[in-house]
Amino acid sequence: MSDSSVTVLTQMTARLLLAPILVISVAVLVNGYASVGDGFSAGVIASLGLLLQYVSFGRERSDRLLRLRLVPAAAFAGLLGALAVALVPLLRGEPILTHWPPPGSDAIYVGSLELITAVAFDVTVYVLVVGCVVGFARAIARAGEGVAR
Amino acid sequence: MPWAPALDLRLALTLDGLGALYSLLAAGVGLAVLAYSAAYLPRHLAHQARPARAGLPFYGLLVLFMASMIGLATAQDLILLFVFWDLTAIASYFLIAYDRREADARWAALMALIVTGVSAVLLLIGALMLYSEYGTFALPELFERVEPGTTLTVAAALMAVAALVKSAQAPLHFWLPRAMAAPTPVSAYLHSAAMVAAGVLLIGRVYPFVASSGLLLDGLVVVGAVSIVVGGVLALTRDDLKQLLAYSTISQYGYVVLMYGLGGAAGAVAASFYVIAHALAKSALFLTAGAVTEATGARELSRLGGLARRLPLLAVASGIAVASIVALPLTAGFFGDELLFKAALEHGWAAALGAVAAAALTFAYLARFWVGIFLGPLRSAAETRLPALMVVPIAALAAVLVVGGVWPAPFAELAGAAAESSLLAPATASVAYHLDLRDENLMALAAWSVGAALVAAPALWRAPAAALAALGERLGPERVYGRSLWALNRLSDRIHDIEVRDLRTRVAAVLLPGGVLVALGFAVTPTEGAYEVGTVTVDDLVLVLLLAFVGAAAVATTRPRNQFVLVLTLAVVGFGLAAVYAVAGAADVALVAVLVETVLALLFLGVFALLPREALRREQTLAERPSRRWRDPLIATVAGIGAFVLVWGALSRPAPEASVAEDHIRLADDAHAKDVVTAIIADFRGLDTLGEVTVVAVALLGVVALLRRGRLT
Repeated sequence: MSDSSVTVLTQMTARLLLAPILVISVAVLVNGYASVGDGFSAGVIASLGLLLQYVSFGRERSDRLLRLRLVPAAAFAGLLGALAVALVPLLRGEPILTHWPPPGSDAIYVGSLELITAVAFDVTVYVLVVGCVVGFARAIARAGEGVAR
Repeated sequence: MPWAPALDLRLALTLDGLGALYSLLAAGVGLAVLAYSAAYLPRHLAHQARPARAGLPFYGLLVLFMASMIGLATAQDLILLFVFWDLTAIASYFLIAYDRREADARWAALMALIVTGVSAVLLLIGALMLYSEYGTFALPELFERVEPGTTLTVAAALMAVAALVKSAQAPLHFWLPRAMAAPTPVSAYLHSAAMVAAGVLLIGRVYPFVASSGLLLDGLVVVGAVSIVVGGVLALTRDDLKQLLAYSTISQYGYVVLMYGLGGAAGAVAASFYVIAHALAKSALFLTAGAVTEATGARELSRLGGLARRLPLLAVASGIAVASIVALPLTAGFFGDELLFKAALEHGWAAALGAVAAAALTFAYLARFWVGIFLGPLRSAAETRLPALMVVPIAALAAVLVVGGVWPAPFAELAGAAAESSLLAPATASVAYHLDLRDENLMALAAWSVGAALVAAPALWRAPAAALAALGERLGPERVYGRSLWALNRLSDRIHDIEVRDLRTRVAAVLLPGGVLVALGFAVTPTEGAYEVGTVTVDDLVLVLLLAFVGAAAVATTRPRNQFVLVLTLAVVGFGLAAVYAVAGAADVALVAVLVETVLALLFLGVFALLPREALRREQTLAERPSRRWRDPLIATVAGIGAFVLVWGALSRPAPEASVAEDHIRLADDAHAKDVVTAIIADFRGLDTLGEVTVVAVALLGVVALLRRGRLT
């Protein structure tokens, strides 16, 4: 994935597409409870945007410009978050993964987004998927550099 | 206190007599050992050139062990008991292997873990058997509900085996002498007072189950007797100090098991008293062995002698400990033997004779131990001065023994309370000095004289004892252990070779049996009217075309020219399926399918770029070999037909799970969701999602570890 095989046109397009892709991914995430979309797809869309940067610019430049070194750690942050959402009800004496607010009562709405723990679960899945896919790509890219050398 | 109500588990801890006895032992001896380690450990680490920091995990592990031992003693729930049981095994593994660089220590730790861990599973099986029969794990309730019968006997037998292995009884005793590779404080704590005591603790705790069957009690007697003999005779032949003491521990716990096996109130009381006296005395002796080795640098009896003048306090303290185990008057152990003789007499003169012989054997090897170290000519000088902190704990333990010898009431009460918990009936221990010609006193005198004779005439027993030891090494259980481990390793290697030679073989190893099993399933079940060929209308035309396209792409994957094209063809199959989902109306699934296919194709191509070209070319030519030409298509066809038949059959039947989907749709509103699929992922089937994301995170760990810099070149 060296610069010589990627044209300037691709790089410009990739640079322009990054922000919209991230916005769309967040939109898909937020839209999950109202219509099509969920944390997993949103996460994959966001990570595809980041992978596009890797392909177009090469690993080192993307890492430097976008500070992507810590993104794989987000995978484990997401996992911890998901486990927290699942296990906190245990501390309150309820079965695992009991969501709040309980069925039947009203939820707090911010626009069309509901503030419920299920949405928080989706967000943790989103973070985890982004971290994992970017982590895979980084591992492969770094290994590739080692092989090429 | 309920712990996991869905599984009927409770955190039930009670400080009854048995619990108090073992907790006091664990805490008291633990205190002495910790004090001793404070002086011993820095010198030990200095000998091995390890930093002083390495001592911290040691204390942590010792405290963890102490805590799990107290938990084990007070647990009233069988599963809780099992958890603490395994916790002690784990702590002991790390403690035995504390000298990580010594291969002996690692081997011994693994042996102890495997032997005691495998037998712990027997404990679990016994508990589960009782649960399935009586519906509870809690011991007080079980005691009320059980009735004698095969289930109870088998469950109790399994638990007894687990306990006997933990207490290093014959024939599974071989792990204990090996575990002497541990540092001395560990041996003093674990292998004399705490971990091996856990075994007899379990016997005491589930005694009502064991006592329900005369067969089990007889079994305990036999195992105890054999352990006494094996431990005693081998202790006579050992030269290494700690090995001698290890075999002595085996023999002494044989006493305890024997007394439990003799049954009745006398047996239970005698066993409990014996445990107290032995734990205190044996840990003192182990600490002495460690101190002597520290002072002189010699570990073998043949290189030691005449240290009484140089280390007087140590000589006296260890002498008291020896006297206690040998059951001389004015020590707590005297009453232990008195109770033993009383219990043996109740069961006839054969048992009494056996008890006298056992006591004589004990006298012989322990006298050899103490005399060999402290009396006689000076062989290795005590070069280093021993810090007080190494001698004081030994002296403290010896002082407790003397106090117990003069005023045995507290010990007797403790033993009585412990026996009460075992028997579920009142029991008292009445011990006192009787200066008359009772049978017990006569037996004790006989034992000491025979023992003294054995010590004075070593030529009598030296040859037979050595022969027994050699026989044990040739044919003994340790050999069996070693050979079974070796055989298991060989088996695992063979299966690995057959199944995992390369990726194709691995996949084939799953697909072929899968296809064959499906075929068997269909051959066995009736298939009347199970396969329907539905009608195809014009509306479905798009779907059919798409499915045909996907089928063609799938067939195309079997004939690629190189791996790059193969990856792209697989991606085409995936995208085609996504289109099918979209046309069939599953918008969420189609979105996810497209995204996953994209990501996977990208990552797949990235990984392929890492493989060297020659390897790829070589794989390609390998796949086209004549021998492979029929094997791979055959396996693929069998698996494909199996999958086809399975899916056709499943889709022909009206799905009974439609009701679950209706429930989901109905409840989606309550879950504050308008999109049912998202609600299913995050709410209804949230636990599945949790599992899946955990798998993805673990996959990340695996990929990063495998592709770490420098691994591929």
